[in-house]
Amino acid sequence: MEITIKFTINGKMVKVEVPPHWTLLRLLRERLGLTGTKEGCGIGECGACTVLLDGMPVNACLVLAPKVDGRSVFTVEGLGSRDALHPLQKSYIEHGAVQCGFCTPGMLISSKALLDKNPHPTQDEIKEAISGNLCRCTGYQQIIEAIEAIDKDVRG
Amino acid sequence: MKWSSNLQPQTESIMIPSFDYKTPKTLQEACDLLQEAHGKAKIIAGGTDLVIGLRNGDSNPSLLIDITSLKELRRIEETDETLSVGAAVTHSEIASSPLVRQYGIVLSKAASEIGSPQIRNLGTIGGNIVNGSPAADTLPPLIVLDAIGKVISRDRERNVPVAQLVKGPYETSLKPSEILVGVSFKKLSQDIRSGFIRLARREAMAIARMSIALLLQVQEGKIQNIRIAPGAILPTPQGLSDVEEFLKGKSPDEEVLRIASRKVSEAMIRRSGIRPSAPYKAPVVEALFLRAMRRALEGQDETGRS
Repeated sequence: MEITIKFTINGKMVKVEVPPHWTLLRLLRERLGLTGTKEGCGIGECGACTVLLDGMPVNACLVLAPKVDGRSVFTVEGLGSRDALHPLQKSYIEHGAVQCGFCTPGMLISSKALLDKNPHPTQDEIKEAISGNLCRCTGYQQIIEAIEAIDKDVRG
Repeated sequence: MKWSSNLQPQTESIMIPSFDYKTPKTLQEACDLLQEAHGKAKIIAGGTDLVIGLRNGDSNPSLLIDITSLKELRRIEETDETLSVGAAVTHSEIASSPLVRQYGIVLSKAASEIGSPQIRNLGTIGGNIVNGSPAADTLPPLIVLDAIGKVISRDRERNVPVAQLVKGPYETSLKPSEILVGVSFKKLSQDIRSGFIRLARREAMAIARMSIALLLQVQEGKIQNIRIAPGAILPTPQGLSDVEEFLKGKSPDEEVLRIASRKVSEAMIRRSGIRPSAPYKAPVVEALFLRAMRRALEGQDETGRS
């Protein structure tokens, strides 16, 4: 049995048929082909599947698909493209904030959520914003630096 | 190959079994759906605990009833004397609410330390209560605030102290036809100080190992009123009335607090039994209590309260 849901994905309205027991993560990856969002732990602990739901970061593995009906979802695919990277993506690359890359889409989304709300975050605010995203490679320092650099760029 | 056929069931097992999903537009409709499902339905709010449970096969409902579209469950409202928080209000909303900060900062603090930003944006106070985890972060603050839960079903409405909503680990006193729609508590007056401290393996994303919530009223150097509730170390959420009684009327000097801290650890052992972890936990809960008391005596949690 499937239900029909309509929602905005990265600014575009979509209408999809989906079984109600599917998570948003599965819907994104398996129905919409948006595989940028990763499944890590699947139980809301690692943040690899972080997406924005009505502008707020959430774990897509914990959101059942019917919940997004009528709402707006933003994934890493909405940030930038290979030819036109988002400033955050550029900064991550410049600061060596990407190693294996598995946490990166979720980290980028948490970073974006922070900067959307607070364009001049302190280090503590940055750490708090990415506290739900695990990275096993970088030790976080480069990620924090990448986010801080954006702030400085904006301030000039 | 043998190993690949072994992998198949594993992938299947992490899939969530199917169910029907309804998003009622009114509370009446939600109650009707729940009643008619005869125990086969579950209420879903944020889903941060429920979806993991479905995935693990802890429960197998045929219907999920999503209550997050019900506006009356999403409000934080004040009357002259009370503050009420709808069951579907998220931890983020509680943590950022000026009303909760002003009249129940012990709850704001607990909500702001739950999980991660992602979890706080989904998880709700109602869900945290009815999931009934002994480590539920909002329970100790709600206990010290003497919060009352409002519970409704199709034919009935009742008010239950939050302490009585949780019967045991992951077990509530709700009937299958009942929905927790919100909690309310008396607004704290400005002379009441609070303390909340939470210990976990790390600050973010870890289940609380131990927490202490307390409210304190000191007049002319003497403890007029005190409420203490520990989290994660008792099978059900409850206040430590014997310690509270001991402290009332005394001045909170070092000696009195040291004796009180002993009474806290004794109460833990009395109610939870001597577990292998007791020799570690006893001194830790004593230190945690002393720190929470110090926070409250110094009014640390209130700085920033308008």
